[in-house]
Parts: sequence; structure tokens; C-alpha cells
Amino acid sequence: MTRKRTSALVAAAVAAATALAGCTGAGGGGTAARTDVDELKAGVFLDVTSWDPASADIGFDGPYLSAVYDPLVALDKDGKPVPALATSWEWSADRLTLTADLKQGVSFEDGQKFDANAAVANIQHLKAGVRSGQAYLNVASATAKDDDTIEIKLSKRDDALLYQMGLGRSWMASPAAIRSGALANGPVGSGPYTYDKAGSTPQSQYVFTKKPNHWDTGTYPFPTVRLFPITDQTASFNAMLSGQLNVQFANAANLPKAKENGWNIASRAASWVGVQYADRTGAQVKALGDKRVRQAISYAFDAAGILNAVGNGSGTVANQVFSVDAQVYDKSMNDKYKTDMTKAKALLAEAGYPDGFTVKMPMSPIFAAWQPAANQTFGELGIKVEWQDMAMPDYQKNAPTYPMFLAVIALAGNDMATLTDQVTTAQWYNPTPSVDAYPEIKALVEQVEKAEPGPAQTELLKKLNAELVDEAWWSVWYQADNTYFSVKGITVTPVTGMMFPTLRFIQRG
Amino acid sequence: MLSFIAKRLMSGVLLLVVVTSGTFFLAHAAVGDPTPGLLGNSATPAQQAALRARIGYDQPLLVQFWNWFSHAVTGDFGTSWRNFQPVNDQMALRVPVTLSVVVVATVLAAVVGVAVGIVCGLRPGGLLDRGLKLASVVLFALPGFWVSLVLVTWFAIELKWFPAIGYVSPDQSMTGWLRSITLPAVSLALGAIVMVAEQLRNGFLQVAGQDFVRTLRARGLSDRRVTAHVLRNASPAALTVLALLFVGLLGGAIVVEIVFNLPGIGSLTQSASQIGDIPVLLGLTAVTVVFVVIVNFLLDLVLGWVNPKVRDR
Repeated sequence: MTRKRTSALVAAAVAAATALAGCTGAGGGGTAARTDVDELKAGVFLDVTSWDPASADIGFDGPYLSAVYDPLVALDKDGKPVPALATSWEWSADRLTLTADLKQGVSFEDGQKFDANAAVANIQHLKAGVRSGQAYLNVASATAKDDDTIEIKLSKRDDALLYQMGLGRSWMASPAAIRSGALANGPVGSGPYTYDKAGSTPQSQYVFTKKPNHWDTGTYPFPTVRLFPITDQTASFNAMLSGQLNVQFANAANLPKAKENGWNIASRAASWVGVQYADRTGAQVKALGDKRVRQAISYAFDAAGILNAVGNGSGTVANQVFSVDAQVYDKSMNDKYKTDMTKAKALLAEAGYPDGFTVKMPMSPIFAAWQPAANQTFGELGIKVEWQDMAMPDYQKNAPTYPMFLAVIALAGNDMATLTDQVTTAQWYNPTPSVDAYPEIKALVEQVEKAEPGPAQTELLKKLNAELVDEAWWSVWYQADNTYFSVKGITVTPVTGMMFPTLRFIQRG
Repeated sequence: MLSFIAKRLMSGVLLLVVVTSGTFFLAHAAVGDPTPGLLGNSATPAQQAALRARIGYDQPLLVQFWNWFSHAVTGDFGTSWRNFQPVNDQMALRVPVTLSVVVVATVLAAVVGVAVGIVCGLRPGGLLDRGLKLASVVLFALPGFWVSLVLVTWFAIELKWFPAIGYVSPDQSMTGWLRSITLPAVSLALGAIVMVAEQLRNGFLQVAGQDFVRTLRARGLSDRRVTAHVLRNASPAALTVLALLFVGLLGGAIVVEIVFNLPGIGSLTQSASQIGDIPVLLGLTAVTVVFVVIVNFLLDLVLGWVNPKVRDR
């Protein structure tokens, strides 16, 4: 009797589960088995920071914002600025004035017209923005010359401006929404998709429906786009395996399984990993002001070993911060600091530190994977590290106050942006650029900044790069790739500088 | 009974005030200046100062506390420091997700746990009883996230019966909602079922050996009626475990929220802690305390009904 009842109960439970499984829920609980490409279902590492382009991050906000906003300037796959709402542009001879022609006949979702006044309102808003303002540091003013022409005046020449705008700093929003603060509640743009607020579950799934008459409709092949913020890599991979996703920000550790499944795999250099110096003048730790000490640290690390052990081999051993795809990148320089502990110790002794020295470094769980390698290497070299544990937000807040720290820093896809981001401008990860303390580097920087963009500037940048490597400006171990999996029928083209590419780089094929 | 209810309500309100006030001061001490975390490290000192003024962080701590407290008592928990959305709106999105999973898991634990506990109590040493002992060892030893991953592998990836990630609101689709919470709820419930069943089984056996049960049998009561008496006397311990489990599951839901990528209060608490979004943290603390108070209140009522002596304590 009992067995019969139990069997009946189990049967009923299985029947209920099967029936439930047969039902197709709306949204996230939808069809799992199909790997169709009718709609794009992408797992993005992070949630959208803000629908207001001035408060959004470049990193992982790209796919969200590119669905609902059009940019003034876009980038091609190699990071070259290409027209979008700005159809063409021209620099003045002194490169302090940028004049841009704008597309006509574009409207925002609230009915407002996109014109020169709207573009100016957006640039002013972006310049004042807490996160976007960094891209417009050298912009003095923006004015409407006529209905479809704007003029941007710079206080200082900025050859990376158009790149930064294309990277995600020129999304155009409705001026009325900017004024009213409505962007905090949701996007009001002119982009290729409409945000389906009713069909979305914020922080879990965002649904976008394609506009039939968007001016750039051919660039966006998917009628529906679903974006899932998934930080846990296992959850994201499971969703890909179950068919809930057809594009994923991937963990390189899953490469064998991805190949087994026949998925497309796309990788590209995204960040450099190594030691960042915040005290190249030796103000806090005298030793770090000596080039030989920094060189010794570079010689000491087994970069290839760390890349394989910690980075799953997904990247390129390099000692430069110019991306491996950049014109300035010089592969031949990578042998300069080939692992050599004997030479490292000799350099340290030559600098007057035969017994090493003591240094405090911050540590957060996110960098814990590299800590054993760092500990071992510094230990062998005789450098005693006092690690100070802290949470990641505190790491960003406090790391700049330490003389050096372990770093994973985003690469730029543009040589002049690399110069600005990594060398000349103070950032949280580069609090004291110290260029003034190194006359040869300062002179080269000035020459680069004055040179005509093109081959001449690139040559100078190469010289500067060689000088920076020689000075051991950083101890770069390798350039780590970002990897994306997609099912057959969808291709992702990674772009250095974008942690997750904008929707124009996700295509059928 | 009325004074019993009034006392419990009073102590609940007091607990709410003490815990949230304590959290306010502890959170401020732990976070320090929240503006770098909220704005990113590229923000200028002027932008940081503007944000401090906007969120009232430039005022004395006691003034900030009063501003928060005087609004909180009206149910207004202010706006998030991260995105300036009302905290209540964010919680309205998140709380139903966690509650869905935790309530369904608790109901599963109660129904299955009680059924298994009774059967094991009636037939100690039987097949199910031995199975329960084995399950209690295995399920207590296995980490929750591992159990979740096994369920995902079988039922989402292999069988494709349920989604591997995500949450569907019942407003959008009732079946979608049920599908989206089934695996997370089962993950949470498995351990809880064993705990409830073990508790009830042990209580059942203990009560079944008492003199009054022998008397009941001697008076010729049917097995069913005797079992009902035993169950009533054995249930308080299991009910207490169930209430504790609900509170525990509320706290432990963060693991399943991560594995199943559910936008619940666990992940919101984590992100609010990371960036120092104190109003969100306080709102979540208040909501959690309210749930704990309500569950304990209901438990006291049920225990009072099962055993009237409890009401006098």
C-alpha cells in the first residue's frame, strides 16, 4: 500500500515536472533546448551601471547602451573612429577645433529632434558627468554652428578625443530627458532598439525590440536582444550549455568544453597584468626610484609561468602596455626582461640593495590568484612584502597610496589613448604619472603630442614605448585576453578597450 | 491571548528599532566616505563633495540618523546613493524573488519533511528511516552550491526541464515563475527537509514512548487518533526548527541567487555592501528583521495554539 502510494506520488511529481518543463515561460525561463539565432541572448559580466550615459561605465555598459542610444562617433574593430550620428568631421590646423556634420532626420524616443543643439546639450552633459567627464577633460566648449553642425573647441590638443567618444562617451540622449533627470529611470535615446521595460526584469534580464526604421538598421541583425547580467562565470557557462544564452563573456578555463560544443570562440587583448608603480620617484620607498630596482623586479617574474598557471594561457607574454595589436607594440622588445633571477639579484645589489628591502602592498580577493607568484618572486629577490588585506572597492580607493601594487588594467585600442591613460594622466591606477621627473620621457611625450598624427607620431610613440620599457615603468607580465563564446550562426568581434563589445560587433554569421 | 500578542508585537518593534539603528552606525563606521566607491575613482574632489551634499553625508552623523529614522518609521527608506532610485522600489523588485524561493523551499521542507518524519517515526529502522539517516549525513556534508550545480547539470543542462538561470515574475508568466524558482527552491529545501524530518521523527519517537500514549492505546483509541496525539506533542520542536530554517534560508539564499543568477536581496546586499550604498543596506536590514519578527510571531501563535501553557510565559 505504502509502496504503491509512494510510486504514485513519484509518478505525479515527475508528471508535474514534465508538464512544467513543457510550458514555455516568458523571458528568462524560455526555451532552453534550441540554439537558434533569431534573437540575441547575451550573458554580460556586469549589470548596466546607469542608463544615463554621463554616469555609465565604458567597461560592460556598451551592449546595454548601444541598444538604445546612437553615438556621435563609433569605432571600427581596430579602434578607428568611424561616422555615426556625426557623419563627418574635420580638425583645424592647430587641432584645437573639431567641426562635425550631423545626421538629419533622427528623433529620440520622446519625439525630440536630434540636431546640433541636442548634440551640444549632450556634450555639455557628458563633460560634466562623473564618469564620462574624463574623456572631455580638454574640451573647452561645444557650440551649434547651424542646425546640423557643431564645433568643439579644446583647451589642449587631444588626439584621443574621437577614440574616447567612439568607445562609449558620445551616446546621444534626449535633451529633455537630460534636463528632467529622466535618464535615471530609463533610457531615452534614438538607438536601434526600444527597451521593453515591461518584458524586462531589471538586474536579471533586459529585453530590447528592434525599431523597424532605424537609420542604421543593417548593422543590427537581431529582431530581439536579451541581455543577462551574470557575474558568476559558472552560472553564465551553465546558461550557455542549457541554451538560455547564445553569446557569453567567457572564462578561458572553459575553452575545451566550448570547442567540444562547436561554439565560436573569439579572443582579444583586453588588459595588462603585472605590477604598477605609484612611486617611481622613490618618495615613499627610495629603492623604487632606481631604474635598476624596477628592472630587477621585471627580470625576476616568470611571466609565461604566471600566464599559464593563473591566466589559463589566455593572453600574450608582453612587457608593454600598448596592446599587442597596436602599431606601436614591438614584439622584439618582449625578450628584454626574459626571466633571469641571477641578473635580477645582481641589479638589485648594484643598486645598493643586496639584501632587498621592505615594501607594503595592498591585497584584495580579486588579486589573490597572483599573490602566491608575487610572494615567491619577491621573496626570492629579497624584497619583503607586507600585504595589507582589503575589499576591492577599498583596493581601488587605497592602492594609489601604496608605492606599488598588483594590477589588472584595461588596455586602450588607440595608441594616443594608451599614452594618456597609462602614462600622462593621473588615474586611480596611475596616481603619480611622474613624467616630469624623467626628462627623456617628458621630452618624448612632448614630441609625440606635437607630432602630426600618422606615421611620424607612431614612430615617436615607438621610441617612447622603448624608453618606457627600458625604464621598467611598469612590470608588465602579460596582456590578458577577453574571451567570448557564441553559438554557430553568431560571431562576436572583440574590440580592445571594450570589456564587452557593443551590439554592432555581434553579428549573424 | 491578546496580551500575549501585544507583548510579542512590542518586542518585535523593539528588535526592529535596535537592529536597524545598530546597523546604521556600524555601516557608517565600516564604509567611511562612500563617494569614491559610488562615483568611481575618476571623480574629482568637487564632484565627490557635491555627492556628499546631495546624499546628506556632509551633515553630523546624528543628524543623518534622525533624517533616516524619521522617514524610515513612515516606511520611506530614502533613495539609493548609487542610482538615486527609491530604496523601496529596488526592494520591491528584489524581495519577491528571494521570498518566492525561500517560501517555496520552506513549504517543501514542511510538507515533505513532516511526511517523511511521520513515516520514519511510525517505522523506526525501516527503509525510509535508514534512508533519512543516510540523507542527513550526505546532505549536511555537501556544500549547498554543489547541490545546486548538480541540479542545474541534470535538470537544466541535460534534461532541459528547467532554466539554468534567471527569474520570471509571476506577473509575466505563472508557469515561467514556477519553472524559474523550482531548482533554486529545491536546492534550498533538500537540507531543510532532512532537518525537519529528523526533528519530527526523534520527537515522535520520544513522545510515543511516554505513559500517556500507552494509556491512550489502553483506552482503545485507534492508531490514527493516537498518532494525531503524538504528532501534536512532537510538533513544537519541528515547528521551531522550521521557523529557524526560514530565517536561515533567507540568509543562505545568496548562494542559490549566485548559482541561478537570481536578482534577489542577497546579491543586492552584496553589491550595496561593496559600494557602500548605506540606504539600501538599511532598507534590506529592516525588511529582513520584519520577516524574522513575523515568522517568530507566527511561530509563537502556533506554539501557543498547540500548547496553551506557552502563552503564559
